Amino acid sequence: MEGVAVPFVLFVSLFIALPWLILHYVTKWKQAPKITHEDEQLLDELHMLARRLEDRLHTVERIVAADNPNFKPGLSQSEWRSESRLGQHDYSLDRRN
Amino acid sequence: MTASRTNFYLDKQNAKFKGVCSGIADYTGVDVMWIRVAAVLLTISGVGMPWVPLAYMLIAWMATARPIGLYQSDEDAKFWQGVRSNPRRSTAEVRSKFRDLDRRLADIELHYTSRNRQLADEIDSLR
Repeated sequence: MEGVAVPFVLFVSLFIALPWLILHYVTKWKQAPKITHEDEQLLDELHMLARRLEDRLHTVERIVAADNPNFKPGLSQSEWRSESRLGQHDYSLDRRN
Repeated sequence: MTASRTNFYLDKQNAKFKGVCSGIADYTGVDVMWIRVAAVLLTISGVGMPWVPLAYMLIAWMATARPIGLYQSDEDAKFWQGVRSNPRRSTAEVRSKFRDLDRRLADIELHYTSRNRQLADEIDSLR
């Protein structure tokens, strides 16, 4: 019994379970949503635009808050994180409008 | 035409040997140490004995190195990792960012319009 069980388990795990596992993830990976090159460019542009607008709006909010002490800037999740970003140029000039 | 950011690249900047492990780490966002540990363990333990080194060499031979300056910043690299794993979620994130901007801009607009109304009220009261 022992002599049959061990090679059997080894055979099943090596030649059935392992390829099954690999093929399962390969098909999952193939089915995963893909984006075309145009979509990628579009998404890149929108992402950059959103960041630029956020930076500008942050500046405007600071100006408004300095002029009017009773103005509370809408605190977003990235509001005070971007404080540290102000100094560093995290986008190059050729990608600005 | 710029290089695609959804392709797999060898990461020669953070490479230990050929840059395959660091490339996988860069592609998936998993820490490079775990990928190296897994590759070495699979090779040494004999589970993936001929396959892991073979796949490593094949990838090192077939894949191209990552162009320098593909990402502007770490945040950019993170964003594209998200796009590779789930473009729909990344798109939703960008949309939520725009919505957030819209809301904050509306706050500023509301502040100014309501302040003008207050000012008009005060002028009216002075007449």
